[in-house]
Formats: sequence, C-alpha cells, structure tokens
Amino acid sequence: MIWPFRIISFLFWYAKEFLLANLHVTADVLRPRKRMKMNPAIIAVPAASKSDSEWTLISTLITLTPGTLTLTLSKEHGILYVHGMFVEDREALVAEIQEMEDRLLKAMRRNPGVLSRPTERPVVQPEDVEEGDLHEWDAPGITEAESEGGEAR
Amino acid sequence: MDIENILHGAGLIFIFLGIFTIIVSAIGLFRLPDLYLRASAVGTSAGLGVASIVFGALLMDFSTANLIKALIAIIAQLLTSAVGSMAIARSGYLNNYKPAEITHTDELALTKRG
Repeated sequence: MIWPFRIISFLFWYAKEFLLANLHVTADVLRPRKRMKMNPAIIAVPAASKSDSEWTLISTLITLTPGTLTLTLSKEHGILYVHGMFVEDREALVAEIQEMEDRLLKAMRRNPGVLSRPTERPVVQPEDVEEGDLHEWDAPGITEAESEGGEAR
Repeated sequence: MDIENILHGAGLIFIFLGIFTIIVSAIGLFRLPDLYLRASAVGTSAGLGVASIVFGALLMDFSTANLIKALIAIIAQLLTSAVGSMAIARSGYLNNYKPAEITHTDELALTKRG
C-alpha cells in the first residue's frame, strides 16, 4: 500500500482496537469480583522504534488503549515496559503491541524499511550511579547546619 | 424528520454514552486492585468519556468553527489523559509501589536493585 493509505488504514485500525478494548475493560469492571478475568503483568516488549517521535507516539497510543499502559521504555535496549490488564502469557501481549507498532511505523515512515527487532531478550542490569552524579538533596546524613556554610563540597 | 432532528438525537446518544463511560470509570476506580490497573483502565476511559460528550455536543450544535474547536478539544483531552496516566504509573513504580498480588510477571523488577 502507498503511504497515505497506510496512514488512513492505521487510523481506522486503531479506532477499532480502541473501541474493542474499551468494551473489554468496561465488561470486566462491571463483572462480579469473583468472575473478574483480570490477569495483569508487566512485560518487556522489544520495539523497533528509532526516533524520539516514534517512541513518544507508540507509548502514548499504548497507554491510550484501555487495559495496556506503558510504564517506561529503554531506548538503549529498544524495550517498552508495558503493563497489561489481560495477559494470558508473555507472547500474546508482545504480539499485540508489536502489531500496533508495525502498523504505526508503516504509517509514519514513507519507507518503512525492515522492521526487525532483537529476538533475544536483552539483559538489563541495574547500573551503579557514580558518587559525583549525586545531587546535594540525594546525600543522606548532611544536616542543615553543615550545608548552611555554603562551602563547595 | 429532517436532518436537524437526526443530528440532535445522535448528539444525545453520544452524550449519554460519554456519561456511561465516565460512570463505569468511577466504579472501576473503587473496584480495581492497584494503581497500575486504575491508571490504565480509568485514566483513558475517562478521557474517552469526555471526548464522546464533546463529540455529542458538536453534533447538536454543528458549525465549522465548532468542528475545529471540538477536534482540538478531543485530541488534547486524549493526549493529556494518556500522558497523565503514564506519569502517575511511572512515579508509583519509582516510589516502590508494589503491583497487586494477581500480577503474575513483573519484568521491570529485573532492572531494579534488590
């Protein structure tokens, strides 16, 4: 499909998904507590977005769909951390998010190119913060009196 | 029946749909177990409710100027409700708010220091 048609087809597809997700969530909220089908999880979804505007749009659109919520993202590792409300297993949510991203990127880029994602899960380790990066307000144990002096530490 | 009446009726339907969506969001606010579920279900459903009411009002009083105003209002409403939900959920996570018991996997916890 040529570019403008991809934009229009994305808009219609998103509107459909949005309404369906709304019905889904509404039905679950109104169900008696024992029969609620909620199955929440926070999943790391590999993403193919590159530019800042693509990251912003995909995370906003994910959040806008009721039942899914972008918690944060790692541009460095190419991961979206998505909180889903109805997650049967990891692959189902990943497929859902990646389909949305595929369609969005095809609508946003004139030449979508190859939308490849890392298949292996990257290892994200907590990084240690250097001492010097700490702000004054992060440093514990400094009393008012000591900081009053105004000397450079 | 002229076009005016049909538009008026359709506008009323959209306004009541919006009211219904907002009421359901309010019920969800009480019934859902944790911050993240509330932010994802309620934040954006309430946005949709307001957008639907604006659209209904547009149908009842249609003009080109109102169309532009309604489009701006709907887009701004949906964008801000989404960004607001993300900000609330993220700050909850950074402040060590634990997801509810039923949350079966939490891959974001792997990036945290124990």
